[in-house]
Amino acid sequence: MTLPASNSPARRTRPGYGIAATSALAAGVILWSAFPLSTGRAGTRLALAVAIAAGVMSLAQLAAAAIGNRESDGFAALDQVARWLTGLVKALPWAELLIVAVLVLEALHASRPWHTAMLGVALTGYLLAVHLTETRSGAGVLRAQLPLLCAGLALTALSVGAAALPHFMAGPADATIRIVALIVAVVAVSLAVPVWLSRPGRARGR
Amino acid sequence: MADSGEEPLQRLKVHWSLSAHARRLLVLAVAGVALAVLTRRAEFAGLAAPALLLLATWQADRRPEVAMRIHLGTATLVEGVSAAIDVEIHGHEAFDARLLIEPTGTVLAGDAVDVRAGRPVRTAVLRVVPTRWGRYSLGVLVITFTDRYRLTEGTVVTQLPFVSPYPQAASLQSSVVLSRLPSRLGEHPARVAGDGVEFAGVREFVPGDRQRRINWPATTRHGSLHLSTFSAERTQNVVVIADETSDVGEPGASSLDLVLRGASGVITRYLAARDRVGLIIFAGRLSWIGPGQGQRHWYRLLDLMMSAPGGWDRAPGLSRLPRAALPPGSLILVFSPLLDPRLVEALRDLRERGFSVIVIDVLNTEPGHDGSRLSRLTARMWHLEQQAVRFSLTQIGVPVVHWDGVSSLDTPLAPYTRRVLVAHR
Repeated sequence: MTLPASNSPARRTRPGYGIAATSALAAGVILWSAFPLSTGRAGTRLALAVAIAAGVMSLAQLAAAAIGNRESDGFAALDQVARWLTGLVKALPWAELLIVAVLVLEALHASRPWHTAMLGVALTGYLLAVHLTETRSGAGVLRAQLPLLCAGLALTALSVGAAALPHFMAGPADATIRIVALIVAVVAVSLAVPVWLSRPGRARGR
Repeated sequence: MADSGEEPLQRLKVHWSLSAHARRLLVLAVAGVALAVLTRRAEFAGLAAPALLLLATWQADRRPEVAMRIHLGTATLVEGVSAAIDVEIHGHEAFDARLLIEPTGTVLAGDAVDVRAGRPVRTAVLRVVPTRWGRYSLGVLVITFTDRYRLTEGTVVTQLPFVSPYPQAASLQSSVVLSRLPSRLGEHPARVAGDGVEFAGVREFVPGDRQRRINWPATTRHGSLHLSTFSAERTQNVVVIADETSDVGEPGASSLDLVLRGASGVITRYLAARDRVGLIIFAGRLSWIGPGQGQRHWYRLLDLMMSAPGGWDRAPGLSRLPRAALPPGSLILVFSPLLDPRLVEALRDLRERGFSVIVIDVLNTEPGHDGSRLSRLTARMWHLEQQAVRFSLTQIGVPVVHWDGVSSLDTPLAPYTRRVLVAHR
């Protein structure tokens, strides 16, 4: 039996919704980075297998954390196996493994700057979803991170532009991209610097 | 009961570490930058940018200690009744805190409680439900401090206080009242006339009677002065005997559990009715408190019940209960599984001494048997023996009623609560 919390100011999310959102994002990043499989270099299938396994296990890890520890008599063989499997699921950093596998998968394909940028956005979203699910927090706890996330996404867009530049010939398009890049950089800095300056530790130091 | 009132402010060490979220961001950032360098593709560096920016807010300035106070919100804990634990956190106002109780096996705890950053002194109320009586720790309290960017986690683990929850009092709305009550002012109408409020009858006026009690309708009918009489209001002495010599049955509903819950219910009921209640613990040795009244006496009785050692002991002299614990004319309510022959002998002795005794039998289990003929025969002999014990008590005027521990105590005691129990000598 679980008792209701009496004074919980933060709005909680149901773990079911969080796990569903995380599953969708995990599947999305794996599919996005893997396909088309035919254009991938050697090792693509192996990286895909690792990514799928890590994705499934990371979801199992979240589900196990949501369910909590079930008490059992502990002497039956089935209980022992269940406990060993639960230990395995909980012990390894599956989400980190998924990140690495997905990035390797993306690197095994030919350069696709906008594609990689979209993967970055989805991966960041996946990490935030995992965090919200495992801490059972509402999206409101990310309010402080929002300017930094926007700045980071602006920098990602900038990197796409930088990566795309060699493909353009000199001319008006090149100049336009440079101007847009400059604007994006200014926006990113203006978003990030105030947040960095208002850190509690820094304010106390002054 | 809680061990103490105002708890001192305690300083606890905080173990700071990188949060799981920060670790994942770090992996994304490092992997992105490494791939950008290895593959010479700038977009991978851009992919790592959000993670790098979030990690840039990392702050190294963290205090290694936190001051906090844990206080049990209620002075008396009762099994099955929710209790509050007040936690005061002093300092670390820049960090959100999540408080979670990891309870011991006999305690149910609520969900984690989140406390937002912002105030130098923050309070939270956590709820626990002790599911068993006895003395044990509530568990440990885990406080996790998190910075606003969710990169750093500080963990504090502290032991929650030991508690001694009282057994849950069995429900009892009615009460058994004896026909002869001692001459002490109380709330039970006695058979003798007195200054109570319950109408007893009408009699002729004799010089010296109070005129305000003249019954005018009767006076008019009879043509001579008559007056109303009222019952005296008396208290009764109730002695509860709790047999703690054996503990058989399912944990949580064993005979000892039922003995304590039943005794607690009877004590609470009779003290609420302003009767004088005493308690005898029949265990390895005898412990008792003579009849008394009031809330303080309730605590004394419950504390005695919780402190008495259980178990089987072949101490001599247990079959004769002490005279000091048994005022003359007391009603004696015995909670017992009737497995100890010494208690049965003591009950016979009480009856011979003229006490009105009611036994509430709390035996709800029987010895297991494997189905073999010998085992069945043994079980049957055991049953016959138990029946014989109960029959012999009934024959000497000691009623034995069975209580399952689930229903109200009113049900088994109903034949004795609907009318006055005549005290035989």
